[in-house]
Amino acid sequence: MRIRIPRFSMAIPAMAWWAAFFIAPLGAIIYFSFGIKPSDPGAGVVDLTSLSFSNYIAATSEVYLTVFQITMRTAGLGTLACALVGFPVAYVLARHITTRWQPILLFLLVLPFWISFLLRTFAWRIILAPEGVLSHALQDIGLLSGPLSMLDTNSAVQLGIIYNYLPLMVLPMFVALDKIDPALIRGSMDLGAGPVRTFLSITLPLALPGILGGMVLTFILASGDYVVPAILGGAKGLMIGNLVATQILAAQNLPMGSAMAVILILMICGIVLSMLMLLMAFRWLLRTIAGPAVDARALSVAVAAETRERT
Amino acid sequence: MRRPRNWSRALLLIWMGLVFVFLFLPILVVIIYSFNGGRNLYVWTEFSTRWYWVAVHNPRVVNALIVSLQAATISCAIAVCLGVPAGIALARRKGMWSPPFMVLLFIILGTPELVSAIGQMIWLDRIGLYDGLLRLAVGHSLFNLAVVILIVRARAEGLGEALEDAAADLGAVPWRAFMQITLPLMLPAVLASVLLSFILSFDDVIISLFVQRPGTSTLPIQILSSFKPGLKGDVAAIVVITLGVTLAGMLVAALMLRRSDKRGKFLGGALN
Repeated sequence: MRIRIPRFSMAIPAMAWWAAFFIAPLGAIIYFSFGIKPSDPGAGVVDLTSLSFSNYIAATSEVYLTVFQITMRTAGLGTLACALVGFPVAYVLARHITTRWQPILLFLLVLPFWISFLLRTFAWRIILAPEGVLSHALQDIGLLSGPLSMLDTNSAVQLGIIYNYLPLMVLPMFVALDKIDPALIRGSMDLGAGPVRTFLSITLPLALPGILGGMVLTFILASGDYVVPAILGGAKGLMIGNLVATQILAAQNLPMGSAMAVILILMICGIVLSMLMLLMAFRWLLRTIAGPAVDARALSVAVAAETRERT
Repeated sequence: MRRPRNWSRALLLIWMGLVFVFLFLPILVVIIYSFNGGRNLYVWTEFSTRWYWVAVHNPRVVNALIVSLQAATISCAIAVCLGVPAGIALARRKGMWSPPFMVLLFIILGTPELVSAIGQMIWLDRIGLYDGLLRLAVGHSLFNLAVVILIVRARAEGLGEALEDAAADLGAVPWRAFMQITLPLMLPAVLASVLLSFILSFDDVIISLFVQRPGTSTLPIQILSSFKPGLKGDVAAIVVITLGVTLAGMLVAALMLRRSDKRGKFLGGALN
């Protein structure tokens, strides 16, 4: 005897929790973004009697747009750098490391996540300090003529972002590369494709979803970052997260901060969508360059057939 | 199979080595500078362990540490209690509901923390939840819940249903099969998600910054607020202490996961 209960019943508590503490707050942000800050401080945090787009108009003025632009550029470049620096690492981890060392190296890769993110970022202030060891070393070997002046600029923020999100980028790429059946690579080589062609027509297309996933994740996190620019950026390296935080925590202007948060989300959505389209185009380009002769799927069928014959 | 040419392999290995140096350099710097005896953390003067002594005797730092631990524990409990059944349901009771549920989950993982934090602040004020500790715990639990669900789901899907089917064949009612077979099998995933969500909560800055009430600052907030007047060695010391504790915990978790899971599945499994 079985009692019929809905299949999702075990997920109901989680859904209810998210509905109450995630979806409702998101709705509250959107609602608040149309209000105004009451002129009388005793009247609460927001005046919702007349809803208008005034915050959106103010938040898209030139001063803010510049910061939005800088934020998107910093996050975009950071994501790209993470992908370029991280891909070889993911590739080595998936291909050239024995199964004995692989878990240890993966553990080391995620280890920085378990150490106060704040202090790791502060540590860069010690490393990059104008009177620090690195600065002196660079001057001694003649790479720098004066003290290192990277702190409190956008380039320090850029470095901090690459540093913080690099492991996050490597992991999904590793998972994607690790899942590729070595038989496919062998098959491609057996059929006469060189290493470069095999890489372009087998490895890269199959790893593309992982690369894409990592890039989307990194970009979203980086563009909403508040801590790295607050610590390393000073006044010159502000990102949109700092402006939003200032609006809310210092200026007590909740409606304005909410509107900026909504714009941030919309911008991220737009850029993630265009990234997706760009990568689709890239995939198409790969296929045209490498030629359709080595189609990964056809190859896998061929490899499977061959293995069956052998056994 | 042709062996990859040795020089390219060597280059790749060197590159990986450099990346690991890059990742660990700041951590080494923190550890070294926690033994800096000077008044200013950034300027090295002499080797001393005095900041360790100062740190454990600073009531504000100790209080912040306690708040952090409490908030992490509660948020972890919420995430695990709600997330384990949901993760199992995603693997075992698929249906029309699962794709939209996964979309919601990825929206939560993908929403910038800042946006979520602002929403929390507005909402918790609105519904009148003013208890500092609970606010922190609720705020941290949302993201953690998503992480727990992903880990548990990966484990449940990896295991397959054979054992539960066997239990049913042998006459166990679904409830009993769930309690005696499914849940114990999920234990490694539960432990992994407990650890992960505990640490995510412990290290969180942005949510804490927005939802905190006076008197309940977490350790990261304490560190952040001592940044403006000038960072001293005590925060570095406390971080190195927590690092030691964390490493011990990670080691235990790694050993447990190694026993129960195949290679690379720790986070990798959840990201599949």
